[in-house]
Amino acid sequence: MNFFDRVFEQRSRQLAQRSSRRGLLKGLGAMLVGGASIPLLPVARAAGGDGASRPVEEGDPSSCDYWRYCAIDGFLCDCCGGSANTCPPGTEMSPVTWIGTCHNPADGRNYVISYNDCCGKSSCGACLCMRDEGDRPVYRPDKTNDLNWCLGTASVSYHCSTAIVVGVAFND
Amino acid sequence: MAKLTLLPVLFWFVAALAAADDAGRVVFDYQMNCQGCHTPDGAGAGSVPALKGHVGVFLQSQAGREYLVRVPGSATSALSDERLAAVLNWIIYEFAGNSLQLPFTPYTAAEVAPLRKNPLNEVDDYRQHVLRAIAGADARE
Repeated sequence: MNFFDRVFEQRSRQLAQRSSRRGLLKGLGAMLVGGASIPLLPVARAAGGDGASRPVEEGDPSSCDYWRYCAIDGFLCDCCGGSANTCPPGTEMSPVTWIGTCHNPADGRNYVISYNDCCGKSSCGACLCMRDEGDRPVYRPDKTNDLNWCLGTASVSYHCSTAIVVGVAFND
Repeated sequence: MAKLTLLPVLFWFVAALAAADDAGRVVFDYQMNCQGCHTPDGAGAGSVPALKGHVGVFLQSQAGREYLVRVPGSATSALSDERLAAVLNWIIYEFAGNSLQLPFTPYTAAEVAPLRKNPLNEVDDYRQHVLRAIAGADARE
């Protein structure tokens, strides 16, 4: 018999003796199911993208009661030609902001909120809200909202405030 | 046999879960205590100095290393020593970029604790002094 024939016969007999008939199916199936379940693990979700940190939205962004405004002290940009996330035309958003956390009743989680002020025009005057939750005295300058936060903008005149979700709060 | 092969998987799972938890906490601490002025990407704005591409320069001298802890934003923050050390390390890893020239020994709670009891009063003067000394040392090399 040819050398190759012998080698292949030997190998196939060995394979047949060592492996079960459905071994391949079993292994392949385990890999498929295992691979598909990795994104379901909390690790993947914790490391995962934007979906994890996006809040369930509910409520009226032009009302002081809107969940993101829990620490607001000023005029709502939503009533001034902008929105809870954007500045009205003709104003500049301050990159330097007051940051706090608010509880979102719609999904029961706490989120980190950045109150970026819109600057460059005189006070808007509409929808004045003062909820001030978590506001600290002025001797904690990074945690007080009684300052003019139009810092880092061309103009220091305050127009209105946004409330932007920047992350999920870490709970101890 | 199956039980034995599952063991490393379980270990990896728990370790990854703990790591994800720590990462979440340090980002949250940066957001709540630093980001308002230093901005989300550490670029700073107006009179707020940039961390991004710059903060590593301070690690070239011991006085500079201490400056990052004694600067009022660090020293008088409401964070515990452990969490302050973790945020400082995160800032270095995240923002220093090319400004970090030497291998970085991470801050520990034990290092941070005594330094922050002595916050800086004349911050701008001290900062200038530290940076001049580092620039002088660079020029001599």
